[in-house]
Parts: sequence; structure tokens; C-alpha cells
Amino acid sequence: MATPQTSAQVPVTVLTGYLGAGKTTLLNRILSEQHGKKYAVIVNEFGELGIDNDLVVNADEEVFEMNNGCICCTVRGDLIRIIEGLMKRKDKFDGILVETTGLADPGPVAQTFFTDEDVKARTRLDAIVTVIDAKHFFGQLEQGSEAEQQVAFADVILLNKTDLVSADELAKVEDRIRGINRYARIFHTQKSQIGLDAILDKGAFDLGRILEFEPDFLHSGHDHHHEDEVRSLSITADRPVDPDKFQKWMGALLQIKGADIFRSKGILAIDGAPRRYVYQGVHMMMDSAWGTQWKDGEKRSSKLVFIGRNLDGDNLQRAFEDCLK
Amino acid sequence: MKIDLANPAWQQTLPPARSVATDAPVAACAFNRDGTTVAFALGDGVVRVLPADVKAAAPDAAEPLHKGVVLALVGDPAGDGFVSGGDDGRVLRIAADGTSTELLAQKGKWFEHLVAHKTGAVAASAGKSMFLFRDGEVREFGPHPSTVAALDFSKDGSRVACAHYGGITVWSLSKDVVLPPRRFAWQGSHVALRWSTDGKFIATGTQENDIHVWRVAQATDMRMQGYPAKVKSLSWTADARFLYTSSQPVFTAWPFAGKGPEGKPPLQFGDEGAGLMTVVAAHPAAEFVAGGYDSGELQLGDIRTRRSVVLKMADGAAITCLAWSPDGFKLAVGNDRGDLLTIDLRR
Repeated sequence: MATPQTSAQVPVTVLTGYLGAGKTTLLNRILSEQHGKKYAVIVNEFGELGIDNDLVVNADEEVFEMNNGCICCTVRGDLIRIIEGLMKRKDKFDGILVETTGLADPGPVAQTFFTDEDVKARTRLDAIVTVIDAKHFFGQLEQGSEAEQQVAFADVILLNKTDLVSADELAKVEDRIRGINRYARIFHTQKSQIGLDAILDKGAFDLGRILEFEPDFLHSGHDHHHEDEVRSLSITADRPVDPDKFQKWMGALLQIKGADIFRSKGILAIDGAPRRYVYQGVHMMMDSAWGTQWKDGEKRSSKLVFIGRNLDGDNLQRAFEDCLK
Repeated sequence: MKIDLANPAWQQTLPPARSVATDAPVAACAFNRDGTTVAFALGDGVVRVLPADVKAAAPDAAEPLHKGVVLALVGDPAGDGFVSGGDDGRVLRIAADGTSTELLAQKGKWFEHLVAHKTGAVAASAGKSMFLFRDGEVREFGPHPSTVAALDFSKDGSRVACAHYGGITVWSLSKDVVLPPRRFAWQGSHVALRWSTDGKFIATGTQENDIHVWRVAQATDMRMQGYPAKVKSLSWTADARFLYTSSQPVFTAWPFAGKGPEGKPPLQFGDEGAGLMTVVAAHPAAEFVAGGYDSGELQLGDIRTRRSVVLKMADGAAITCLAWSPDGFKLAVGNDRGDLLTIDLRR
């Protein structure tokens, strides 16, 4: 079930991206800017930050499998521990920034905020921000699945070092990013220069703000892709959803394909319900809640979004249609 | 013991107590070796030392000893003061007069857990290592497979068990006979650990809300499930007949006398408190037990009569730590709002 979001929960921003993409530069900028806010920073390499800041904590990226029979349910044990420790401080924070190593899978970080009750009570995952080196992105895609996964998980993407590539090259990189994740917001940056309001306090995991966050959320579309590539797709329906059938289908889908589905979100027009039903998930983990009321005369349509690997849009659409009244 | 929960006074008035308000969460509390002072580890780096006598006035707050949070605190088993660990990577020995000396510094590490043994030894954990302080020496044990999440001495102080991801590791501390560490494996992350007061069992709480218990000699193990939250507080009774566990609304004790708890339900007793128990502490000698709740309620239970009385009403500030005085008459209590409570249970 959904976790109620309260102001007492400290927002956590996860910063991913390949080594050298500009994460540390971005962190240094966030910490040195005069914004009157106080951030705790959890980094994986102590000493890289140029700022002498006693709120910088060194993490070991300890990825733990949950012993609960769910194969892809991994969490960051070090994060659970560090967040618990930070909450014992007298001085409270306006936010926590978590930097991951260049080759880290953002999945375990995100799942920590879905899984651990103590972490959920004290903090809320705000957004996953991925920094991309425009010049080296294609090379990094070829080196392994990490660069692709970091794009797939992102809510916000800083397409950085745009001054090092031509307009043509930049367009190709952006196309490729859009091919993986069409729902993230992309900002072009040089030296990680970005207004902090573009990356902090986005509420990307706030069920109440699912519609607000994504400009393209209501545009559906199917592209042609190679099967094993990570891609994003959405499916829609105009007829009301049968909640029991939907639950059964989504439960089975996540059970079988959860490892391949990085992010999922949806807004459902449930048969007979006056409110929207909203959900979002990371791999097999999912949060859901009743959203805003449908207005009189408003067209009640449902929309599901998936970002993942081996996704067959036509199959998903057909299966979803079987869940309609 | 002169504590009798059948005494009607328990229902009428709260026992004598002293509460000192601070504005930093309390991470740990402890009495010193002879029970004359009580100390609280605070989230602003201060270790607040107070007279154990609840009628004595509290001296003014001291300067911070640690830069950051004091994460762990024990009574010094080799002196009259305390030993503290902080997220500034330091372990300090604090004398009775409040002066401190640094026992160890590890840059960038957090000293999250400390345990003391009456033989004078103290063990601390930071990152993947365990450090032993004894006879003026520091020895490092490890690295463990992951950060050490809890640790405890064996009954005789000859071994230390460390909890981590994938199980626990038991180290023999002797310098004369160097034995390899023993690993007791159980998948998942172990977040709490207590060695039984008779030395026969080691209990852990896990990330998956279970309890795991090993028989040390036989290396056999058992698992208890059904908790609604992680069990971060475990406490063995002085006679080792019961293991108390947090994360239930009432006192919950697994029976270890005779054939052990397999196939038996836990003993649950007392009045249902507000919320879930966050900390549980068995009395050092008698049949009593103290339990603090996430609501701020505090109860005192008696396993013999299966009664409990309320020592403090719920106030919204979760109890974070409990400690019994060595004579068993006083109880130190800390919460996440910064109240430093000392209760005298004689009445």
C-alpha cells in the first residue's frame, strides 16, 4: 500500500551516471551554492568532493538480497544504516543526496525506499537524476548494461558536456536517450550547470504528482526496437478497468517480468470508482493509492507506462484490454 | 528485590523520576560501573553525565565530546566513567570527572556499536571491522563480509559475536591460542545480536522481521517469524530462561529453558501498550523487564505474575534506549526528542 507522504519525511535525490559524467561537479555545485538549505551527502568515494562539509558520509554500496523469496528484491544495506544514523542528529536536513558509483545499478537504491519501513517512515525518494557525458555515451552503452539502466531509471537527465559534441552528435545522443526513456526530463548542460529547482524536490515518486511530473505522460506511442534493448512504452484504454482482473494480471506480470521492468507507473479509471487509482513501481516493488476525483463529464481513460527490457507493447496492450469491463 | 507490581501504589502514582530536557535525539544510555552516575549519548555530540540519584539536581550541559552524533555508549568496565563511540570516527574514554581521552580514531568511519564486559574489555564496531579494547591495547578483527550491524560478548568475555550480511562471525579473543573465527551462516542481513546470559545461544534480528537463534556448541539454528517490524532490540533474562524481543505491543518472551522454543509460542504478557515496543531490557538479576514503545509509552513487566504497569505515558516521542542500574533499582530512558529520564523503582 502507499506510504503517506508527510513533510517530516526528508526528500532523497539519487544521483547516478558513469564515472566522469559530472556527478561530483554537480554535487560540489549543490553544496557550494548559497541556497540556505542543508543537505547530507552520501558518497561512495570519500575525498573526491572539494567541499569540506561534515555532512558528507562515505557509503560502501552494500547490496543485500532480501531473504523473502523475491529474486530481484535487493536493497542497499548501507543506506538503511546511514539514514538511521543521520536521523539521530540534532540538526535536521532539507534533503539527502545519494551518489552512486559509475557502474551501480540504481535498482537497489530505489527499492530500499520501497522496502524498508524505517527508511520509509523517515525519508521519501524524491527523484533519480542521471548525469550523462554527451561525448562518451555511445561508447558507454557498448561497455555493458549500466549506462542503459541509469537512463531507464531516471526521472531527470542532465545531458552534460554538450560543448564537447556537435549539434548533430548531440541530437543522436538525445534520440538514443529518448529511445530508452521517453518520460524523463532532459536538460542540456555544460559543467553540470543547472538550476537546483530542476533536480531537487521533484516529487517524482509522489503518487499524488504522477500526472504533474511527466509532460509526455498522456501521449502514447509504440516504436520499433530490438527486443533486448531497454525502451519505454505506454498503453491506454478508454473503457473502465476491472480491479480484480487488473490486480491479477499486474501481479503475475511483475512476478514473471519484474526483473526486466525498471520503472512502471499508471493511472487507472476503475469501474465505478469516483477517483483515479494511481500506482508506481520499481522492478517488483509497487506503491498504489487513490488519486484525484474525476470531474463531471471528464473522459475517464487509463494509461500505463513501462520502462524496461524485452517489452512487447502489443502483447501488453492485449493483456490490459482483457482487464477492462 | 523490593519491587512489587501488586503494590497499589503503581496504579496510583508514577515512581520518583527526574527528566532533563535537551534538544538532541538520544542514541544510547548507560549507568557507570558502580551505579553512581548515568549518561546519555546525544545527537549533538554531547555525552550528558548525571547523578544516578533522581533527587539530585542535574548539572549544566557539557561541551560536545564528539563532532556529530554520539552513536554508542557503555559504562566503562575498567573505570568509573563511560566509553563512547561517534559518527566522527572516534572512541572516547570518559572519566568520572568528565575529561575524555581518545582510544581510537578511524577517519570516515562511524562507531555505531559498543559492548562492555565485566572483565574490563570493550568491543566496538566501525564499518567491516570489530575493535577490542583491553588492558590498554586495541586489536582489530575482520574484515567481515559487510558492515558489522551488532555485536556482543560471550558470557565469560572470551569471545565476541558480530552480526553482518549472511550470518554472524564469532571471534576468539585469546592471544595465547589463536583460533580461526567461526562463521554461522543464515542468508539475509542481521541487524541486532545478543549472546545469551548462559553463553549457549546467540540471537539475531533480521532485515526480514525474523528472529534467528543459533545453539553455539551444536551450530544448529532456529527461526521465529511473525513480527510486523524489524526486531532491533533483544534481551535475555538474567537466568537465560527467556529471550525478550521488541516489535510487539506486549512483552514477548521466547522460552529457552528445557528443550528450547521450537514448536512453542512465545510467552506474551502485560497490558497492551500504545504502538510497538522499540526497546526491551530485562532486569539484570530479577524477573522484571522494561519495555519502551514507539509512542513514548514505557512499561515495567513481571514475568512471574504476568503483570505490567505503566511507568510513563505515551507522548509521541519514541523510546530509543533503556538501561538498568547495576543494582537493578533504577532505569535510564532516552527518546528521540531528547528527554533524559531516570526512574527510581523503589517505593
